[in-house]
Amino acid sequence: MTLRTLVIAGFCAMVGLVWIIESGAADVFLEAARPDFQKIPLAIAGIENLGGAESPEGRVKLGSRIEEVLKTDVRRSLVFALVDVNGLGIKAGQLGAEPDPSFKHAVENGVSVVVWGRAGIKSGNKDSDVNMDGYVYDAGNNEVVGGKRYVGSTSVVRLMAHRFADELVFRYTGEPGIARTKIAYVSELGSARELFVMDYDGYDPRQLTADGFLNLMPRWSPDRRFLVFTTYRNRNTQDIDLLELANGKRWTLVSQGGLNITPALSPDGNFLAYSSSSEGNAELYRMDTHTKAVQRLTTNAGGDLSPSWAPSGRELAFTSDRSGGPQVFLISADGSNVRRLTFEGDYNAAPAWSPRGNWIAYVCRTPRKEYKLCLITPDGQKRVQLTTGPGVDDSPSWSPDGRHIVFSSTADGKSHIYMINTDGKDLERITFTGTHNSAPTWSPAS
Amino acid sequence: MKTLVVTPLPVILGVLLLLSPACSRKAVQSGGDTRALQEEMARGGAKGGTSSSFPDTSLSGKDETSSLRGFDRNPLEERLGGGGHNGNGTVTPGNTLMAKSDPGGAARQLAEIRAEQTASTAAGLRDVFFTYDSFSITDEGRHALTSDAEWIKSNPLVQLKIEGHCDERGTSAYNLVLGEKRAKAVRNYLVELGVVPQHLSVVSYGKERPFCTEHGEHCYSMNRRGHLVVKVGK
Repeated sequence: MTLRTLVIAGFCAMVGLVWIIESGAADVFLEAARPDFQKIPLAIAGIENLGGAESPEGRVKLGSRIEEVLKTDVRRSLVFALVDVNGLGIKAGQLGAEPDPSFKHAVENGVSVVVWGRAGIKSGNKDSDVNMDGYVYDAGNNEVVGGKRYVGSTSVVRLMAHRFADELVFRYTGEPGIARTKIAYVSELGSARELFVMDYDGYDPRQLTADGFLNLMPRWSPDRRFLVFTTYRNRNTQDIDLLELANGKRWTLVSQGGLNITPALSPDGNFLAYSSSSEGNAELYRMDTHTKAVQRLTTNAGGDLSPSWAPSGRELAFTSDRSGGPQVFLISADGSNVRRLTFEGDYNAAPAWSPRGNWIAYVCRTPRKEYKLCLITPDGQKRVQLTTGPGVDDSPSWSPDGRHIVFSSTADGKSHIYMINTDGKDLERITFTGTHNSAPTWSPAS
Repeated sequence: MKTLVVTPLPVILGVLLLLSPACSRKAVQSGGDTRALQEEMARGGAKGGTSSSFPDTSLSGKDETSSLRGFDRNPLEERLGGGGHNGNGTVTPGNTLMAKSDPGGAARQLAEIRAEQTASTAAGLRDVFFTYDSFSITDEGRHALTSDAEWIKSNPLVQLKIEGHCDERGTSAYNLVLGEKRAKAVRNYLVELGVVPQHLSVVSYGKERPFCTEHGEHCYSMNRRGHLVVKVGK
């Protein structure tokens, strides 16, 4: 009797273990969606202000500004859990380049990494360089594993924090982090729509075009140097242009009659997929960016648009209304093997294949006729609605680490740009000015 | 029990995949030839500006100058540039991003749009309105187009542009397709009424140039439109 109980108990435990492992395997890339995902407990002891340095805005001290940006970056990395340093007894101002006795108490309280630093301006001169030193203590090694020294003008203090945050993510995951990534988007200027680019956190927006008419739906080149987008020449025809960010130089890649929309460069940059109605209705095409040879990928009476490359470059997701309302389909990069992916609801569009390949984000119309974001696996087996509530959500684009999605929404009235984690948490609005911001697209990491 | 054997494989594969970027990133770090990149960018710039040749968008031109360098016990000073204040020895990207444009372009667009509006109003052209999600011409639309067709036929020198517009619901991209369907439905009906197709062109603005910017059916119905415009300029 007792033996049998034991065997049953053992069997149950085993089944339980298998279940845990299996559920883990299914979600292994969507780490942030896992409630049991172990973030690394990290304490930012502080970035000490040196020499009464002032930021360009005045008043707010440089160290405090860098610390604030660093904390937000670390939180958004979703790799670390920020530990409140209050009560740990660590005094940032007393820390040098060696482990501090106060770290012992922090480690006993579960802290794995302690970060601190100092920042100031070399001389009293406002135009002088900002210096920032940062240090990292690792509880596993029980030593200061290293540091960074940054120098630059006052205009790059946010970049210092971003770079330090990315170094932290890099050290603990081997991936570059997203703190230095950018988001390109479309913003309304008068009745025109122009391209802009900003930091991933919404700071430092810069205007890229000033055509006075419509520029739409930008996408990055994999090397971050270029954007491809639709532009209206003389208001009457659409072209697909390439823009070099460093100098504003432009090239026209596609110039035909009809719609020429939703360009997307392949992950290796060798192909441009786009939709064109130059031969009738909107069809998908693929251009070899070296030879400029164009291959038509789809042939049917419906509209085909919004190609999004799988990270492998072997397949694309796209929108098609060949079966009535718009739905998301998949197609091999050579135009073969077309199959429908979405079946729930009568309007699914704007697919975006995640950089890890395991999810496709898209705009789904709910039974209440709201346009929200959904996620679906490329095999169609799992589907979740990511956003809820009022407003039209559009243009989902993945962060290069696959943990966030940026999108536009009219949830607050005017169209603005928002960021959300792939588990639906941490919804944050990142644009606050302008009358219409749309079509965000997240840059690759560098 | 079969699952016991199967399960670890995806986990191992997953772990391998998660670790693999680390390897490639490290390999890439030791590279990073700044001068070659700058030369390439200079070449790309020199031949730019025409549609006959465009630069290499493949990863072969990848900017490695901004690679992370890892923490160091005796860290070297890293100078950060960008932010519009590129200094010497810049090691980050953040290259100055500037709006480049034909300075007269926006003003010329505005002037032409006004001229088009004036000419279209003077012609008394009537627009066509559509129901939600639809591109079929309603009875009211047929009436409007019948009178438009008469005017067009009696003014054979005029080139007409049919703009397809949509309300703000739905995606930007799909609304461009829907807008084109609306514009083409208008064109096809005008041709049925005897208008010479060579006098008509279509363009879709999707939901990007709304007539009304409030949220609600009043605006939505105004924006679901086939808009007839007398062409000015090219």
